[in-house]
Amino acid sequence: MSDLIALVGDVVAHYNQWITVFLMVSGLYIVIARGNMVKKLVGLSLFQTSVYLLYISAGKILSGTAPIIDPHFTVYSHPLPHVLILTAIVVGIATLAVGLALVVRINEAYGTIEEDEIFKRDDDR
Amino acid sequence: MRLDVILRVVTKLILPFVLVFAIYVQFHGDYGPGGGFQAGVIAGATIILYALIYGLASARRLVPAALVEAMIPLGVLVYAGVGVVGWLTGANFLDYSHLAHDPVHGQEWGVFLVEAGVFITVSATMVAIFYAFAGRGRR
Repeated sequence: MSDLIALVGDVVAHYNQWITVFLMVSGLYIVIARGNMVKKLVGLSLFQTSVYLLYISAGKILSGTAPIIDPHFTVYSHPLPHVLILTAIVVGIATLAVGLALVVRINEAYGTIEEDEIFKRDDDR
Repeated sequence: MRLDVILRVVTKLILPFVLVFAIYVQFHGDYGPGGGFQAGVIAGATIILYALIYGLASARRLVPAALVEAMIPLGVLVYAGVGVVGWLTGANFLDYSHLAHDPVHGQEWGVFLVEAGVFITVSATMVAIFYAFAGRGRR
């Protein structure tokens, strides 16, 4: 019984990893399953967010503070994942803007952003 | 009679608070979660919200596109300028230690100025991207 409680405790204690898994898989599903290109980009953003969470969870140290040297504190969170993810967030915003620009151009050229309709129009041509 | 009166009134009510929150995130970024990127996105979102509710034309009157396009390089210049000032005071590029009379205050000033540069560029870039998308086909 105590083994079971310890197992459940382990599962609950890693809740940030479970949220990461949920966001990653749901983002991947949206990218694959939805034909609407704006929805595909939403799924891609969800996927990216899960990666941010994965790295930030690895960098967090319990009871650690911001990594500024101070005689009152001895435990600091790891700053490297934060810097990496700050860069990843900026790159994610830039790629999202480029993706939206491509969707706008596709909408101007085809009059639709649904993938199957675009394929049908290409086949008819 | 316009039917979006609730949206208009609520937008006018929350816009100053969102801007104050952006300033809070900006200045609290030294010691907590936050910083120039996040504050810049929040400040850019206020302009985008204003444009969504009141129309692109009035947003362009409030924040002209020329101002936005001037702010993008201005923030980069502030960032790089702090680095060059570090050179001129006899330290490395982006070394803030000699910006003030002692290194701790120098670090404070350096981080503050660099984050201000990031804030200017990021908020202007967000608004510029929105203007570019929303203004298409209406030139």
